[in-house]
Amino acid sequence: METSALILKIKRYNPEKDPPRWTETFNVDTKKGMNLLEALLQIQDEQDPTLFFRYSCRGAVCGSCGMKVNGKLALACRTPVEGLLEETTLIEPLPFFPVIRDLIVDMSPLFEHFRKIEPYLHGKPVMPEREHIMTEEERKAVDPYIQCILCGICFGVCPAFNREALFFGPAILAKAFRFLLDPRDRRDKEILESVNHHQGVWGCNTVFQCVKVCPKEVPPTHAIVKMRRNILKYRLVSFFSRFSSLCRSSSK
Amino acid sequence: MEILSHDILIIGGGLAGLRAAIEAQKAGRDVAILSKVHPLRSHSVAAQGGINAAFDNVPAPVNDSWENHSFDTIKGSDYLADQDVVEIMCREGLERVIEMERWGTLFSRTEDGKIAQRPFGGAGFPRTCYAADRTGHNLLHVLYEQVTGLRIPVYEEWHALSLVVAEGRCIGILAFPLFEERTVPIQAEATILATGGYGRIYLRSTNAIINTGRGCYLAYQAGLPLEDMEFVQFHPTSLFGTNILITEGARGEGGYLVNVKGERYMERYAPHLMELGPRDIVARATQREIDEGGGFEGQYVHLDLRHLGREKILDRLPGIRQIAMDFAGIDPILNPIPIQPAQHYSMGGIPTNVDGETPLPGLYAAGECACVSVHGANRLGGNSLLETLVFGARAGRKAASNVNPVRNSRGMISNGVKGEKGDFNPLAFQNQSAAFQSGLHDLSSRKEGEPCFRLRDELKALMTDQVGIFRRESDLLSAKEKIRELKERFGRIGIKQKRLAFNNEWIQYLELEGMLHVAEVITEGALARKESRGSHFRTDYPERDDEHWLRHTFAYKTPAGARLEYKEVKITTYPPKERTY
Repeated sequence: METSALILKIKRYNPEKDPPRWTETFNVDTKKGMNLLEALLQIQDEQDPTLFFRYSCRGAVCGSCGMKVNGKLALACRTPVEGLLEETTLIEPLPFFPVIRDLIVDMSPLFEHFRKIEPYLHGKPVMPEREHIMTEEERKAVDPYIQCILCGICFGVCPAFNREALFFGPAILAKAFRFLLDPRDRRDKEILESVNHHQGVWGCNTVFQCVKVCPKEVPPTHAIVKMRRNILKYRLVSFFSRFSSLCRSSSK
Repeated sequence: MEILSHDILIIGGGLAGLRAAIEAQKAGRDVAILSKVHPLRSHSVAAQGGINAAFDNVPAPVNDSWENHSFDTIKGSDYLADQDVVEIMCREGLERVIEMERWGTLFSRTEDGKIAQRPFGGAGFPRTCYAADRTGHNLLHVLYEQVTGLRIPVYEEWHALSLVVAEGRCIGILAFPLFEERTVPIQAEATILATGGYGRIYLRSTNAIINTGRGCYLAYQAGLPLEDMEFVQFHPTSLFGTNILITEGARGEGGYLVNVKGERYMERYAPHLMELGPRDIVARATQREIDEGGGFEGQYVHLDLRHLGREKILDRLPGIRQIAMDFAGIDPILNPIPIQPAQHYSMGGIPTNVDGETPLPGLYAAGECACVSVHGANRLGGNSLLETLVFGARAGRKAASNVNPVRNSRGMISNGVKGEKGDFNPLAFQNQSAAFQSGLHDLSSRKEGEPCFRLRDELKALMTDQVGIFRRESDLLSAKEKIRELKERFGRIGIKQKRLAFNNEWIQYLELEGMLHVAEVITEGALARKESRGSHFRTDYPERDDEHWLRHTFAYKTPAGARLEYKEVKITTYPPKERTY
């Protein structure tokens, strides 16, 4: 089988070394159809067993191998090396998250935000022993938002964190919207209230970076914009209802 | 010595593990999950096509029932499944699937708003409930959401090094946080193994890279037998090149399998069910086509979806389309998908009863690593997700009811406390910890020796070549010999890194140890079983032989390899018959 060389320049990190950060170059013999994750695994086997990165499914569904490839965020398993052969490829860990070792980052900020929105269906009561009745149209409305694999790539490109470090993040707001849209969830106002602040929907710059990079084509900005509209509608409704009750009480 | 303590410790964060955790937590026990990856990275996430339950939601000439589901499962198993447990799965499955829907699983819908169901291989009815073609992803995320809501603690990126057994009882495990320089004893009244399959002992497998069968080995090493391990499922349709799964749902929606001559070759192998024959039959047919010159480039056949049309593909099979485009550069709307068979699933595993109890008190197992024997010699598509939920819940419930409330009087308050509980036996933990430390020391002091990955790659090639879809005595004998040799070479392996934390080589070493033993058990079982049944096909014994082989294999670890014993199959309603489709 024909092989050609892939040159990977990898940002390394090991706090026990001096210096703790360095860049290391590896040459990999590639095979037809090879992807970046396979190249990294080959380095770990044959050249440097101390190189660290996460992996599991190798099929772009588990969300383990998000990283920065020549400045762009991607899942390594979903990145063919074919497009990387011309020049040296720079591999860096996913931005935003603290680096633990090499390409492994601490994802706990993402999951802390995840817990804040109570991310589980608060179901409406239904007849015993049967499912909620739901139309395909209703399902299809929710469907784009449940494709999220929580890989953290959208956190890595989101500029909103520069202004508000505790911003919930695109994936988490998409998750909140998923429950808001779901006709089976009894929450409505509660979800909107939980995101109605500058760490929530009002923190977003609406520059659609997350929509562009998402490997599963989830559109978090659309979710955020729609939730903002819903909140404004609520405010308007509650303003009018307060106004009219004020009018009623003053006319008495 | 620092020690963690829980009423119930679950090893593995896939569907079976999470479902067990939820059940045990709701019963008021102090539960924790330990997983070598974040739960959402578990292999369950990759399941695509669906989950079987006889709701009868789709109009068919005859009504479906859980009894029909049982029959299809038993026939599909080539009559090796234990029929009493199949009945439990098919009956309780209805409840488990409804429960998943109520917890938020976004199942596709019928016109009247019920859970949609599609036809699947070896089933007489459209019985497979699905969420487009991302059913596993949907179910796993929903269960993880529930676990988050219940605040069940998860030891993420921790390895289970060994089971700790004292006085004939599993009293917990020795654990190892991947990024820390320590081993940690975790004491548990009940330990539930839910560690999934071993697909990565094969070169061609649909499984995630993390599926190395470590959980099966932990039990085997602790003296438990492994049941029916020679029954290895090969999926007919994995993407040529990467062997990523292409769901049976693609054929359920009407996809064709086509050879290089343009023939729908299943006509010759399963004239009635065609592409929707059970997996063992379709996988063998496909491999035979390829072996006999019917393959493209001698290596693959085509899965053709084009006639389904753009709309149906986008609606029902969007994940498959994305996989084909990402990993093969092919849009199935326009071109057929190149596919070949690959290892997919383990029918065998750690023997359990209907409540997940293993022969070792205090130890339970559920999901793919277990063998309650609902799949027998061949699993039907859509039954594995069902098994994880039904028997995950059962194991969690039984473990919770078996926990001695007196011994664990602190109950929920004791959640992960450092300290000891009840009749804690520190010596058993200390001995194992010392053994691992000195083992690592020995390994790192060996100057010469091969790297693990060479042995691993040889093992994988060997298993696919000689213990694959078609088996014969000469191949199996040579495989057995070769595995012995690999085990010997394994004994001379040296590694460079001396420390526990961040030690890839050591983890690889431990995983390879398990892989070699699991491979040996599969090979020995296959060599001994002189018949063909379900997924186990011997070219030298092509017929099923109920008189001698309608029985389960139990393999025990001995210094000389696996010692095999056999046990009767439980038959309740359906006496074995010839299996035609």
